[in-house]
This record gives sequence, C-alpha cells and structure tokens, in this order.
Amino acid sequence: MIHADDGSLSQEQRMMRDSCRAFVDDAVTPFIRSNWQREWDMSPGERLPRSILEGAETIGVRTLGVPEAYGGVDLERETEVRTFALISEEIARGDSGLADKLVQNWKVSILLREFAPKHLQDKWFPRLLADPQFLLAHCLTEPRGASDRWLPYNVPEAAMHTKAVLKDGHWVINGRKQFISNGFDASLYVVYANTDTSVGMLQGTSSFLVPRDTPGLTVTKCNETMGCRFMNNGELVFEDCRVPADHLLVQNTALGSAGQYFRAGKIIQAAKNLGVGVACFERTADYVQNYVQGGRILIKHQAVALRLADMATRIEAVRALIERASRAVDEGHPDMDVLCNMAKVYASEEIMKVATHALELHGGNGAMLEFGIEKLFRDAAIFLHMDATVDVSRMKIIKTMFPATAGKYAGPEN
Amino acid sequence: MKILVAIKRVADPNVKVRLRSDGSGLDLAAVKMTMNPFDEIAVEEAVRLREAGIASEVVVVSVGPEKATETLRTALAMGADRGLLVRTEATTEPLAVAKALSAVAGEEQPALILLGKQAVDDDCNQTGQMLAAKLGWPQATFASQLTVNGDRATVIREVDGGSQTLALALPAIVTADLRLNEPRYASLPNIMKAKKKPLEERQPSDYGLVIEERLEVVRLEEPPTRAAGIKVKSVAELVERLKTEAGVLA
Repeated sequence: MIHADDGSLSQEQRMMRDSCRAFVDDAVTPFIRSNWQREWDMSPGERLPRSILEGAETIGVRTLGVPEAYGGVDLERETEVRTFALISEEIARGDSGLADKLVQNWKVSILLREFAPKHLQDKWFPRLLADPQFLLAHCLTEPRGASDRWLPYNVPEAAMHTKAVLKDGHWVINGRKQFISNGFDASLYVVYANTDTSVGMLQGTSSFLVPRDTPGLTVTKCNETMGCRFMNNGELVFEDCRVPADHLLVQNTALGSAGQYFRAGKIIQAAKNLGVGVACFERTADYVQNYVQGGRILIKHQAVALRLADMATRIEAVRALIERASRAVDEGHPDMDVLCNMAKVYASEEIMKVATHALELHGGNGAMLEFGIEKLFRDAAIFLHMDATVDVSRMKIIKTMFPATAGKYAGPEN
Repeated sequence: MKILVAIKRVADPNVKVRLRSDGSGLDLAAVKMTMNPFDEIAVEEAVRLREAGIASEVVVVSVGPEKATETLRTALAMGADRGLLVRTEATTEPLAVAKALSAVAGEEQPALILLGKQAVDDDCNQTGQMLAAKLGWPQATFASQLTVNGDRATVIREVDGGSQTLALALPAIVTADLRLNEPRYASLPNIMKAKKKPLEERQPSDYGLVIEERLEVVRLEEPPTRAAGIKVKSVAELVERLKTEAGVLA
C-alpha cells in the first residue's frame, strides 16, 4: 500500500527504486529536515549544497537518458516511462525541487540523444557526465504565453514571440523565456523559437542548442517560487544571440518531434507530485500514531482516522492512473495523450487534498516552518500549474477526445 | 586472486516483522526483502580489493530460494563480476550453508572468502566459522579492517574492550563487522549493466548435497509490549519511584 507494488515492477526497477530510496533516506530527507532555513536563502546558488548533487551522482540518477556509450543509463525502452515515473517519485519523496532539477536533465538528454548531431553529443555528454553540478534546461514558456496560449492552439496568431533567423551560417535568436526549470543554473539550454510566422506553432517552431556562455544570452533572474524551492527557476533574455547552424536540433516541427518526450514529461510531473503525496502520508501516519491528544494517540480518534484513510485512498487512485498512463506511453497506445494529461491534472488536485489533510492533522505544528509539513503543502501547490494549469490540462483532454468540435482558438489578441 | 563472497537474502531490518497467527514462524509473505547488511559490507570490501587491483575477480554466491537471484543481482550491480545461486527452498541453517559454500569453494578455488559476520534474521553468527572448519582454513571474524598483501592478509578484529590484529595465510575466511566499510549504493547505470553479468543457478545435488533442516523451532513469541508511562504528582514521588521501582537511585 501507498508505495508501488513490488509485483508490478521488474527486478531492475525494484533495484533502482531501492537505491533511490536509500539515497533519499540517507542523504536528502535528513538534509531537508535539519536545514529548512536553506529554502529561504536569497542567494539561489547557495540553497542546495553541492554535496546533494554529488550524492545523487553516487546512484547515477542525474544522467538518465544519456546513452550508455557516454557513461549514462540505458533503460529498457519498452518500460522507460514507467521507470522514469518510479524514480522521479522516489526522489520527490525526499524533495520535489531536487527531483525537478534532475528530471530536466533526463528530458533534455533524451532530446540531445535523439536530435543533436554526433559531434555535439561528443562535446556535451562528456561534460555533463564529468560535472555533478552540470544541469540542463528546456526553454519553452514565454512571458506572453505557454500552456495558456500557444500550446493548445495551432494557429499563427498564437505562435511563440521568440524568433530565430538564419543569417551568415548562424541562427540569430531574439526573445525572452520565463519560468524555466533549471533556467537560473543550467549550463546548456534547449531553446524553442519561431522560425515560420505564417503557420501554426506545430509547423513553425524550431529547437536549438544554446550553451550558457553564448554572447547575447543573459540569465536575468531567478524566479522565486512558493514551493519546489530547491530548483532554481529562471528567466532568460536572447538579444541577437548567435549559435552556429549545426546547433539547430529540429527545424519547424520541433514541438511535434519532441511530442513523445513531452508525454513522458507529463507522467514524470504526475509521479513527482505523487512522491510529495507519499511523503505527506508517511509523515502524517507516523505523527498520528505517536502524538497523544485527549489521552490517546491521534489515530484512535475517528475523525483523524477518516482523514488518513482519505489520504491513502487518493494516493492509491493517483498511482493507479499514473501506472495506466505510463504503460500507455510505453506501449504507444492511441489514448496516451489523453491519459497523460489526465494523470497530470488528477495528481495535482488529489495530492493537494492529501497535503491539506497532512497540514490539518499536524495541527499547529503543520503551520510551522521547522516542522516541514507546510513545505510539502507548498510543494504540492506548485503542481497545480507547473507544466500546464489544471484548466488547460482539462481543455486538452477534451480537445483530444473531441478534436472536431472542441477547443477553437478565441482569436488574435488585439 | 579470486574472492568469493557469500550473501543471504533477509527481511529488510527497517521493516517491522510479525509472527504468523499460528506462531510457527515469521510472516514474510508481504515483507520487503534485502541483502543482509553485513553481507553488503563484505561485497563492498571485495569490490574495493578488485578496484585496487589486488583481486582479479569477485564471485558472489547465495544459498537460498529462487528470489535470492535478485539479491545476487544487487551484488553484481555493486560491482561483483559473477553470481552463483545454490538453490533451495528449505530454511538455510548455518551448517548446511557452510557445507554448500565449502563445496563451491572446492570448485572455485578462491584465495579469500568474505562473509557477513552474521545474518540479521536468525543472528546465528556461525556460518563463517563452520566454513573455516570444513575447509580447514584460517579465519578472522568481526573484521573492521582488512589488508591483503601477496598471500597473506592482516585483519583487525573487533573484540570486547578493544581490537585484535591477526595475520593469516591465504586462502582464508574473513567475516565483516559493521565498521569495515560503508557500502556503496547500487547505481542506476550499474543496475542496468548487472543484467548482462553471468548468474548461474545450481542445485545442492550438483554438489552431492542435501540441504537438511536439523534444528526444530519450538516456539516464537513477540517481544513484550512496553507498558505505558505514568505521571507523578511531585518530585518527592518521582525520587521515591526511581528508588523503589526503577532501581536507578540508591
């Protein structure tokens, strides 16, 4: 109960889960519990000590998606998404910000593996492997839109504002990206930009590899968030930022080509969210079996038991949907898009309820920073809109189910 | 130099186990299993000796059920080269395991056999010693430091009230204590690589052995539940009870 059923996992998956859990229990959770002030350090680079990512290196979890030839981890492709889900849940059970830092690396590594020319893989994968602090970022969202505007609508009016033009053997990028996971810390970025203004975004968006030190790229700030604070979300500005022509990953159809990886992204999102829920449950189950009120431990009070049952039930339901959706992606089932969005949106709302119960059952302690429960509540809240808002996710579900009748673009902005 | 490491699959010591309702044994049906923690230390030591260029091959062996292949796989992911399961569904008692390991040692001819000092399930602390007797090899138990130099090993043992240093001629048996090292995690890349490492399954009969259960468990009982604490009304009463009931004050 609460955790994944061992019988549903392969031997390797169980072993990976065990290694991740041991690392989280030995290194991550003790750090998070005893250093709660670090979340509020306003020097973003100082928040998570280097030792945590160095520790993550001992289980090799930063370089999933990197081909084995470069020293990464080649997962079984037929269960790859399920494995991603399992591992991201375990890491997020310790800290969802740390999990987010790591999963960005997996997602971008897969894009590099699939789309980058070999000489660029030869250049960047070894650097990624060599430095435990080397992070990757995936730059889609812009100040004027992402899931709220252009992701649901494939019309020219809704296209990205960031543009790239080929000039003298270089792509020249201009624009702004915001709310970028790892944006503040990453050493290497995959940037999406409009390369054809006459068509919808699915036909007119290209992706580029942009190293952090490229002239014209400025990391302007760290976006301070309410939760997931150990991942430094960033804002980037591109001013005549020039990358060589071979740094183009996918021309015009970047969003469609990357589609299979966005699907995995939704599953990972839901799985990290589940990890936060599991942490809420474990902490709360422990608390209510030890804390005495009215002469008996809390769990003997029926009102408390009912809430705990509700937490457990919601967690199991979320897990069941994530497992179904991840299997659908691994098997290429026709319903996979709908299921991914369902898992993502359902997890976000259900785990928010789980976190609310956790907060309530801890009474006054639940509101105390040093107790760590309010952190789980804040972390859970982030998932309501990270990687698409609840409402947009629902809209996409219906658009995919009823493509002929649902979800027409409301029109140009002006 | 080849090192043989013996490992056992046991109930995860972090999990609370319960007795079967008829009291005949532990209810392990839904309990998470893991490698005996002392055996993990033994595997780590062997892998370090291989990484240091002192050992050339690390072979892990388990005498136990089919599911012990998963435990062997974990040892392979930690860095062992090859696995061997001597399969039996019987309860594995120290003497039977020592006989099986002695047969395996006869085939493998290792220069060193490492074991955990004891398994955390039955806490027998006998297998290493019995194996040394069967093979007629020197033994050093409760090792907190191991140095191998040519055909000799030096072991610092943890003994009551201090430590003892032994010099042994190889081949020898060494059993690992808690402070010998801190075992690594099986990393994700190594878990995938371990899939491709050889893992052989043999039957006790292949060695001319029958795994016998020679011990009879007469009774098992749960530890007594701790009585609830009480509130005292005054310091005087506290002192009185510490003297008369707790016996901590004279």
